[in-house]
Amino acid sequence: MNTDTLIAALAKDLPPVSRHAVGRRLLLGILGGGGITLLMIALLLGFRGDLGLAMRGFAFWMKWTYTISLGIGAVVMVVRLARPEPVRLRGFWPLAIPFALLAIVSVAEMAHVPSGDWLAMWLGKTWKKCPWLVLMLSAPIFIGLLWSFRRLAPTRLSAAGGAAGLAAGAWAATLYCLHCPEVSALFLLTWYTLGIGLAAIAGALLGPRLLRW
Amino acid sequence: MRADEDQLRAWMVDGLDGNASSHEALLRALVPLLRAFYRRRVGDTDAIEDIVQETLITIHTRRMSYDRHRAFGAWLFAIARYKMVDHFRRTRQTCPIDDVEHLLISPGFEDETGAAIDMDRLLDDLPDKQSRLIRQTKLEGHSIAETALAEGLGESDVKVSVHRGLKALAARIRGDRR
Repeated sequence: MNTDTLIAALAKDLPPVSRHAVGRRLLLGILGGGGITLLMIALLLGFRGDLGLAMRGFAFWMKWTYTISLGIGAVVMVVRLARPEPVRLRGFWPLAIPFALLAIVSVAEMAHVPSGDWLAMWLGKTWKKCPWLVLMLSAPIFIGLLWSFRRLAPTRLSAAGGAAGLAAGAWAATLYCLHCPEVSALFLLTWYTLGIGLAAIAGALLGPRLLRW
Repeated sequence: MRADEDQLRAWMVDGLDGNASSHEALLRALVPLLRAFYRRRVGDTDAIEDIVQETLITIHTRRMSYDRHRAFGAWLFAIARYKMVDHFRRTRQTCPIDDVEHLLISPGFEDETGAAIDMDRLLDDLPDKQSRLIRQTKLEGHSIAETALAEGLGESDVKVSVHRGLKALAARIRGDRR
């Protein structure tokens, strides 16, 4: 095709692009995927019966504070990596803050519980499936983010994929809280983090294949 | 006429706001820039027009990723560079390293490495802007126009900085010898 014809064709239909287009598109991808994740929880797992009661307690909000703060941090990372600009990954160290705070809460929690109960507290009732469920539930959100990336231009594909996986994992975990009955900070620190971490690793591995443009 | 950063950026921003003729003007102005960019770097001349077209399509479909507050040239060349690497990957253009030992023990290698180290040391003493521009124009082989666009500077600014930097370097080398 002739370059002149190509340019004329490209310029023919030109929808305006808003200043907040990147954020809006990422939000749309996350909401779209999150809707599917929510549907999966509702159909496959079911919401916890005492949700209304739990939402008045400390444990639920501790869980949400952890997963939501990770989710927001990861989305900031995705926004930065979505443009073809040099990005210093070390600048994302604040993502470790929620983890560090939760570790402190876990230590305080252990201090209040006799050491004989630590194992039961750490493993809860669902440790075997929790990380895998978080990983599975993150898939729709990750796919939503892949859709968002189709109009964006990441140049560091592993990092962008990893950030997208982290965001997907953290928001999937946030929704998973609506099902999961666990209450211990130590449980959250280990098994939720593992699930979210698996999602981030999967994203980093898939990034170079799926995000190429 | 070669469009400069301010003009390209104005067209880009106008295009983002939905002005089709500005967008068209932008894409047309980018064609010679991109051709020059790839011609200097891609050996396979038949492929250049294809890469240029692909880059234009990418710039069009992914224009959302341009941040209006940043230099347009930096965004443009980041995309152009990515497309070039992608082209190399797809065509499996590689550099065989079987003979790397010969390269390492070849007579000129040590001298050249030494020269590169000296060059780094000398450039580090210059003001940041001058050393950066000298690296881009004299060592990495970018043209003045490309460097100006990528750095968001005027072409004359780049020329003056490079000139001053080289003069300062020459003075330093003479001083060292004395």
